[in-house]
Amino acid sequence: MKSGILLRDPTAETASELRCRRQPLDSFEGKTVALMDIGKMRGDEFIDRLEVLCHQRGIATLRYKKPTNTRVAPREMIKEISEKCQAVIIALSDCGSCTSCSTHDLNDLDKKGVAGVSVLTTEFLQAFESQRATIGLDAASVYVPHPLQNKTTEELHAWADEAIDEILAAICIESDGASVKKVA
Amino acid sequence: MTTTDAVRDGVMIFAKRECETCQMVEPVLTRLASSMETIVLTQDDPTFPANLAAFDDTSLEKSFKHDIEAVPTLLRFKDGKEVARTQGWDRAQWRKITGISDLGVDLPEMRPGCGSKSREPGVYETLMAQFGKLDFKSRPIQLGGWDDEIEACFDRGWSDGLPVVPPTDVRIIRMLDGTTRKPSEIIGDVPPNLSPITVEKVAVNAVMAGCRPEYMPVVIAALEAALDPLFTMHGLLCTTCFSGPIVVVNGPIVKEIGMNSGINCLGQGNRANATIGRALQLIIRNVGGGRPGELDRAVLGGPGKYTFCFAEDESDPTWTPLSVARGLPKGKNAVTLFQGDGIQGFLDQRSRTPEQLTKSLAMSLLAVGHPKLCEFTNAMLVLVPEHYAIFRDAGWDRDRITAELHKAMVRPREIVIQGAQGVGEGVDPKRQDAMINKFWPEGLLIVHAGGQAGLFSAICAGWTGGRFRNESMPVTREIAL
Repeated sequence: MKSGILLRDPTAETASELRCRRQPLDSFEGKTVALMDIGKMRGDEFIDRLEVLCHQRGIATLRYKKPTNTRVAPREMIKEISEKCQAVIIALSDCGSCTSCSTHDLNDLDKKGVAGVSVLTTEFLQAFESQRATIGLDAASVYVPHPLQNKTTEELHAWADEAIDEILAAICIESDGASVKKVA
Repeated sequence: MTTTDAVRDGVMIFAKRECETCQMVEPVLTRLASSMETIVLTQDDPTFPANLAAFDDTSLEKSFKHDIEAVPTLLRFKDGKEVARTQGWDRAQWRKITGISDLGVDLPEMRPGCGSKSREPGVYETLMAQFGKLDFKSRPIQLGGWDDEIEACFDRGWSDGLPVVPPTDVRIIRMLDGTTRKPSEIIGDVPPNLSPITVEKVAVNAVMAGCRPEYMPVVIAALEAALDPLFTMHGLLCTTCFSGPIVVVNGPIVKEIGMNSGINCLGQGNRANATIGRALQLIIRNVGGGRPGELDRAVLGGPGKYTFCFAEDESDPTWTPLSVARGLPKGKNAVTLFQGDGIQGFLDQRSRTPEQLTKSLAMSLLAVGHPKLCEFTNAMLVLVPEHYAIFRDAGWDRDRITAELHKAMVRPREIVIQGAQGVGEGVDPKRQDAMINKFWPEGLLIVHAGGQAGLFSAICAGWTGGRFRNESMPVTREIAL
């Protein structure tokens, strides 16, 4: 990879060199969570299940889908999410370009006041760390196994079931899974 | 071309094609190569000298490491260590160093060389950043190859909203060159977080603000003044009021660094004015942690919080400069920091006598803060040359103008007391004096500045912290060079 320039930190360095991410929500009460599909194959199946799991917990959601995982989200989409939603779950990155672009999306939404988390496959942990370091955002992430493209829909849903509590905890303080209001 | 650059027992010569002396000694170099272990390092053209396999030093790494100041430079090595060197062509020296007694018989006795490429302006610092031993303590932030460095600075929250110059090592080295202070020296604790700041951190932020190295002494002096407890920078930053530090510069340094004290000096367009004030604000933001909405709680703020810095016009010998009025010897470089707001224009094109102008100025100055508030804030009056001329031509100097203005601004208690004139705001009713001063005797600062044409002076209202007369004051400090 082409190496970039080196800067010196102008701050007192009392905090992490990463900018603090937007505080997670206090509660999901009256809030809407954006489910942002990055446009990668099979991601929609994972998000279908996240949507169900959110609704079971009484969490309002709105679905968004990027035209392609290989570019950052269109400005209009970022704007609309920031106007209609207070938190965002971005899924599901399982390649280099989607990891990079979705981390930028997370940053853009964070700057507009939306608390966010990115869901990626374990293979892209390093790529995410590297991208968030260069962006300078202390961005949140949750990982599911890699690879996903050869899995059945049921297997993807099972991953969503396993990850949901961790995902929600990343965007809401009171969400340890159990404390979220459940709708039968 | 050769790839080895080490000489054990022999000579090393640094040269460049564009240097005539280097071209002249080409036959000497050939002679040396046939007599002893010889390496020629070429700074500009690897094919020079034509009949020798020169070492390509177009990166200037070796020139930097051997601290070459001019070409040609001849270095003599014994047991891998340099034992002698000479610059330019000096036949006697070259013969002595090489031990070849008939070297360069056809050449003149002496001819100076050219400057080394590694010493060209701007190059040395770049080489220092690349190959030198840096001892910067500030955390390195490595960007990715495709990152935009300006956006990276925005993303990290280092900016006041305008683009900053990315603080690279080369730029920081150059900035530090503008001061004799050690990079590790601590200037003080920057509010609101009271984080210690080193000269190095000042330089990093000065780079970002767009300063030139020669502004560094002014930036440091302004910072020292801001950190003087009497200046109450802590409260000034956190206040809900509009105010920020207004920096006024006096002394010969004004001309030396090209500051503006004339046309549009409170406005845009002059690099020193713009960036010195900005550097101070960036330091407070980045090192102190003073960010709007967090601990900077200004209800409105003001454009002066990007930068508000200008120089006083000292060209009129009848005018006592602000720094002198505040106790420094004439001719000293100084900064004065005033806790103030943006400007309120004073328009008077009709007053012809100093008495008329005094009354007129007093009317406008009384509006500072609120017409019914007294001894509540300080004020800065930026008196333009045409207005000053009315005073000067009548023989009034700074002291007289100040005294007369104060006299014209004494207010009867019954009209300024809270509730008087049907207005709730005003002086505390407990105050029993029949007459009350608008400002503390030392609370009106007059600065002479502006273009030669225009009867438009400016009033900068002071911060409400000024009501604590002995706790919060403007601060003047000499600029140490």
